[in-house]
Amino acid sequence: MRRILSSVRDGVGFDILLVSLTMIFLFALAGMPLVYNVMMSFQEVDMFNLGTFWRPFVGLENYQAVLSQPEFGLVMKNTAFFVFGSIAGQFSLGFLLAIFFMAKFPFASTIRGVFLVSWVMPGLVVGALWGWILAGDFGVLNAILKSLGIIDSTLFWKSDPSLSIWAVTMANIWLGLAFNMMLLSVGLAAIPRDVYEAAELDGANAFQRFTSITVPMMRATIGAVLALGLIYTLQQFDLFPAITEGGPANSSSVAQYWAWQRSFVLFDFAKGATISMMMLIFVFIASVVYVASTRHEVRE
Amino acid sequence: MKIVTLPRLMLVLAIVLAAIYLFPLYWMYVTSLKGQSEIFANPPTFWPRDPDFSIFPETWERRHVGMFLGNSLVIGTGVTALTVLLGTGCAYVLARYRSAWIDVGLFTILMLQVLPASVMITPLYVGFNQLGLLNYPRTAVVLAASAKAIPFYIVLVRATFMNVPRELEEAALVDGNSRWGAFFFVVLPLARNGVLVLAILTFMQAFGEYIYSKSIITTQAYQPASVGLSGFLGPNSTDWNGIMAYAAMYVTPIVAIFVILQRRIVAGLTSGALK
Amino acid sequence: MTVQIEMRNIEKHYGAFHALKNVDLDIEKGSFVALVGPSGCGKSTLLRSIAGLESITSGTLKIAGEPMQGVPPRKRDVAMVFQSYALYPHMTVEQNLTYSLRWKKVPKEERSKRAREVAETIGLTELLGRYPRELSGGQRQRVAMGRAIIRSPKAFLFDEPLSNLDASLRVQMRKEVRALHDRLGATSVYVTHDQIEAMTMADFVVVMRGGVIEQRGRPLELYDQPANKFVGGFIGSPAMNFVAAKGADDGHSIVLDGFGQETLDVGRKVEAGRPLIAGLRPEHLRIADGGTGFHLQVGTVEQTGSTTYLVNGPGDFTMVQNERTDVKEGDSVALSIDPKQVHLFDAETELRV
Repeated sequence: MRRILSSVRDGVGFDILLVSLTMIFLFALAGMPLVYNVMMSFQEVDMFNLGTFWRPFVGLENYQAVLSQPEFGLVMKNTAFFVFGSIAGQFSLGFLLAIFFMAKFPFASTIRGVFLVSWVMPGLVVGALWGWILAGDFGVLNAILKSLGIIDSTLFWKSDPSLSIWAVTMANIWLGLAFNMMLLSVGLAAIPRDVYEAAELDGANAFQRFTSITVPMMRATIGAVLALGLIYTLQQFDLFPAITEGGPANSSSVAQYWAWQRSFVLFDFAKGATISMMMLIFVFIASVVYVASTRHEVRE
Repeated sequence: MKIVTLPRLMLVLAIVLAAIYLFPLYWMYVTSLKGQSEIFANPPTFWPRDPDFSIFPETWERRHVGMFLGNSLVIGTGVTALTVLLGTGCAYVLARYRSAWIDVGLFTILMLQVLPASVMITPLYVGFNQLGLLNYPRTAVVLAASAKAIPFYIVLVRATFMNVPRELEEAALVDGNSRWGAFFFVVLPLARNGVLVLAILTFMQAFGEYIYSKSIITTQAYQPASVGLSGFLGPNSTDWNGIMAYAAMYVTPIVAIFVILQRRIVAGLTSGALK
Repeated sequence: MTVQIEMRNIEKHYGAFHALKNVDLDIEKGSFVALVGPSGCGKSTLLRSIAGLESITSGTLKIAGEPMQGVPPRKRDVAMVFQSYALYPHMTVEQNLTYSLRWKKVPKEERSKRAREVAETIGLTELLGRYPRELSGGQRQRVAMGRAIIRSPKAFLFDEPLSNLDASLRVQMRKEVRALHDRLGATSVYVTHDQIEAMTMADFVVVMRGGVIEQRGRPLELYDQPANKFVGGFIGSPAMNFVAAKGADDGHSIVLDGFGQETLDVGRKVEAGRPLIAGLRPEHLRIADGGTGFHLQVGTVEQTGSTTYLVNGPGDFTMVQNERTDVKEGDSVALSIDPKQVHLFDAETELRV
């Protein structure tokens, strides 16, 4: 006992104590629920056995049930659209802005920093703002697009089933754009200036310098940013209840919102758990890419 | 990237880009000041004809904004306290050593960081239900949201600790400190900035937390501002100046903190996310 | 003389890496001992083990007669000066100096009185209120020294404390550190990779390589009688020349490889035909007036003004002349070798013969 105490005071016991407290907490509130989620996806869960731990085992029945839901295909299509649309938009616009702000002009870093305000705002407020901007008859986006002559009839972003997924995707691009830009800026700033100077002396033009130096030297950053984009997009939830509530007729519902609706609107916890298990597979693939891209940092 | 141009022109262009990007925020404040009829004017007015500030006290009263913000504050403070308490020491240890065990720990934490709240909420809800924690809904939300915030916090605070030279801690040990003394009197004061910035970011995230609160807290008196806002928000909302006034009262404190501490927050965020 | 730090059979493993191998060393009270060796030789590990910052795998370590097994650094009463100085950036010079006294519960007035005394000794009185970032490299170094002095510890441990200073300041600080040691009657262990520093400052020099103590002794003993080829090559600058050699038939001479058949009478018994390595210090070689059997084909000539360095074509043989010569590249010069100054090592074991 005295040895343990003195180790906590002066030795590695101190480190072990600090790490284990946190790990126990995270195990209880993240590890266990994850395992529990796997269990529930193989169980029959209803309002009556919600309070028990062991429930009837039903094998892959939940998975089959989810796959045979009429909206399954639509939701998967929406999820893919939301994820790839958001990442493509956030990344390309973010990269352009990051390159723009690499130029030397007064207040460049301050103005760049202001962009990040979108990222610290509550997701629900962002949803509310975009819900209002995208409103059909009175939304300011339609008014601007009309006055610019881009559209002539009102677009019902939120209530037109072919547009509703665009509405949430646009809001999400706005939300994540600044974060992408910031991470890419860090990557750009890490490329030594003399490499560009050497390439210029070797006769490379601006575009060639971009493709032969910026892109290859940013490979790790780009990998990490894209993976983080996938992770954060699959985590994005708040915009859906605020803008479209997944509607109309599931036309803007994605996996994470669908899973939550199953559990907390329809109280079908088994299917909610099952859908989120399916989603996790994608999250883990993204995480492996992310960890691989940042491994040199972790190893340091 | 050598872009040859006049810095002035770039500055103007940068301001225009920022203005376009931040337009939604501007639109929120402008809409909140418009009267009910002006909201639905076609074409919309970009400056309120007759700014009406009475919407703020009125919405505050009618929508119980004070009560909701109070709950957000409780949840935000609780999450921040728990995260700083549990995350700081762990981040320090993960920064201090290099070994296969540390890599395993880091990998675990990175993995926990990526779990979507919408995945975790179902098992957490059912688990809390079994433990009877649903009777203390705000505590339950604090626990759940902390588990979400801690991995993110650890990854970024670890980067701060890695900038504290190991020799300083060793000097303190030789000078008569225990590990605790060296941590509290030498290492922690030097990592103070990073810890502070990340505590603020954690608070901002928790202050806007929605999904756990919406799922766990059923009593209106305990709900945070995000859930309060969702109560009168949806595809068919019409009370837009009220919603925008509510949103403005909700985000203005966060935006103000962000603008004041912008430099430090950006630095704290970018130092650790990637390198 | 009493032994202040006693080390017996110390072993240290980092995983598969064997950092210290069976280290035995006594450090006498009041002595100044330098640990030298190439990087990775274990000298810093040994110093940190004395401080308690590293744990030893086995063996015993005693400070002032007390066994140190399981004793944390704070209870060992040793002071350490780090290579980076490790000044606490968030504390003033005075707070840095008195930090250790805080934990010994020395009252505040006493602490600032001692800080002023120490500041006087090392010439920092005006800087007591400053922060480390406001000091020059040399001043920071002094603060680091002061922080050690104020404690009057059982031993001072120095971990390459002068390596971050520029050359002229380094030479000056060598003298100051040594003078301080003498004035305080302290026991000092000083780690450096710079053999000149070790030779000029220390009473005893300990040469390490690969976690093993190769030789310990007074500085000139190491120079005059290196125990093996490694120590011979490590001590002295420029480094000793090594030439493969063989015992000549007469039993007391050697033949140098690549220098013809001329024999060199070393004045002691050498088995005929025994393979050897001859160590010739560059400064012990002279240009002969008359012809000798030893010739150096000059590859490069470096003039520093006071001395001339002559290096052969392949660059593995150097000689130093203290006077100017008009030898040019491509010349062949005759060498005069003083047989008494030739070091002989066994070709197999590399130990001194």
